[in-house]
Amino acid sequence: MAVFISAVGFGVVTAAILAISAVGFTLQFSVTNVFNLAFGSVMTLSGFVAYWLNHAGLNIWVAMAAAAVSGGLISLAINEAIYTPFIRHGLNLFGMVIVTISVAVIFDHGLQAAVGPTFFSYTAPAGKAFRFADFVLTRQELIIVGIAVLLTILVQVALQYTRVGKAMRGLAINASLARACGVPTRGVIALAWFVSGVLAGVGGVALFLDISTFTATTGSEFLIVIIAAAVLGGIGSPRGAVLGALVVGIVTEVGAAYWNAELKDVLAFGVLIAVLLVRPQGLFSRLATERAIAR
Amino acid sequence: MSAATQYYIATIVVYICVNVIGAWGLDLQFGVTGVLNFAFILFQAAGAYTAAMLSLGPASASGGFQHYLVGFKLPFPLPLIGAMLVGGALSAVIGLITLRRLRSDYQAMVMLVISVVATVVAESVVGLANGSAGLSLIPNPAKSLTGLTLQTQNWLFVGLCVALMLIVGVLMYGLVYSPYGRVLRGVRENEAAVEAMGRSATRARLQVFIIGGALAALSGALLAQFIGAWAPSEWLYPETFVFFTAVIVGGRGSISGVAIGAALVAVGIQQAVQYMPIGSDPTLLAALEWIITGLLTLIFLWLRPQGLLPERRRRYLRRVKTGFAATKLQESAGT
Repeated sequence: MAVFISAVGFGVVTAAILAISAVGFTLQFSVTNVFNLAFGSVMTLSGFVAYWLNHAGLNIWVAMAAAAVSGGLISLAINEAIYTPFIRHGLNLFGMVIVTISVAVIFDHGLQAAVGPTFFSYTAPAGKAFRFADFVLTRQELIIVGIAVLLTILVQVALQYTRVGKAMRGLAINASLARACGVPTRGVIALAWFVSGVLAGVGGVALFLDISTFTATTGSEFLIVIIAAAVLGGIGSPRGAVLGALVVGIVTEVGAAYWNAELKDVLAFGVLIAVLLVRPQGLFSRLATERAIAR
Repeated sequence: MSAATQYYIATIVVYICVNVIGAWGLDLQFGVTGVLNFAFILFQAAGAYTAAMLSLGPASASGGFQHYLVGFKLPFPLPLIGAMLVGGALSAVIGLITLRRLRSDYQAMVMLVISVVATVVAESVVGLANGSAGLSLIPNPAKSLTGLTLQTQNWLFVGLCVALMLIVGVLMYGLVYSPYGRVLRGVRENEAAVEAMGRSATRARLQVFIIGGALAALSGALLAQFIGAWAPSEWLYPETFVFFTAVIVGGRGSISGVAIGAALVAVGIQQAVQYMPIGSDPTLLAALEWIITGLLTLIFLWLRPQGLLPERRRRYLRRVKTGFAATKLQESAGT
């Protein structure tokens, strides 16, 4: 039982990191309809921004805030400079997936050429360990979980109650109707990319803190797990993404404790494939059904 | 020619043939039919592993230094045929999961996940295919012929690859320019129209998924036999992207175009990078290869989305010109 509870503890931390990133990934997808495979590269790039600031002597949490802003700006810049022109050029959704993977490949390997194939890590103390029954979490892990709770609630509240949040939801359900109702679509889409980038930045730094060493391709490798969580929850639904993150996070860590640490991700993907067979639109399915993503 | 030059040329030719066969498999799926198979490299790997296991013999026979699921020692064409069968069967399974109920870009996403899972499984379950160390000492069918010099054996294998490439090429032309090929292009261009004509788009997608998977497996089998080794690092998920670039650069749906694209992208970039004056740091060279591949995809999608040698369109209209429809066309044009 003790093993189980401590595994759940690790699972909560993994789920927190996943939730931050998966909400960013899925929110931007719901508004723009583009599957952004360069999301992991934005995580890595902003993670490296935090790394350089951190090694210049800045506190890691301040560096994380800076990474969040730079993540937002990078994400916005990629959309304005590459994605939007391609969409205007008449490329379909299908082609956009290839554009985003090209951007990911260029960014990851550009960064690799710049920093080399070595491993990096932040200088940040894990902090005092706190014990809750059989849960042992460090101060650092607690802060990450706290940030995740805060950010996901913030996004949810903003989507539910603010004007711009409603505009985003409107755009997600029916873009042309939203435009006809006077929603400034361009601005809202830009904001969605920015927010998604901010979440990628925070998620990236949190991930790199949690796994302690990272390379120029760590973000893109983790993107697969993020996609699994987002698809599991129902693509385009931030609430679903949080739920998907919790399932994936806890299943992987409990699986690692009882079965085989190397195969922990396989377990999560097994759940994903089972869900896809039975309910391909995911757990929260409204948007996925609306967009005819799955039937 | 010195032995080294001969070996260099032979290697380049084998790599071109292997990549052309693979790229044709993807072209059938992505170029002709419009299926985004982001797990493509998985089927190449399946072929490579199958060919290896069907020719290595039982695992215990080699002193047990490598572990794998099953081992047989079958004569020449059987490992290649077995590889194609396994590639097709695996495609059928994965196609049934992904192709039936998901939108095309969503299919891509799910296949990407499947491709990564497969790598993780192959790396960590050592009993399957020797884990991350991979299989080695995979027999080359040409090298089992005794009484020949090493160079003759090498050229014999080159001949085998070229012959297989030509056979696959002829089959591709037959398939793509047949009425069935028109159904496939219809699935890409207008799924509703295909369904209205009484053809199942899902069935067509599943069929090309299986045929393409078998071609991927054939290319993997040849590659594994040529290199003599096969490990998970050979088939990480970004490798699929190289095939996509080859198809886009060559021309989606165009058979000769994709052959040129495969030669240029999969072999040409790597060779070009070797001769660039940027030193010989392997990480830098590999990174540069990837950056060029990515940029090439973006540039082609922007400037020339139809590729170097575009797919020939309205091929059948010309044939129709002499018939009834042509007179109708001329009449309507004349009035």
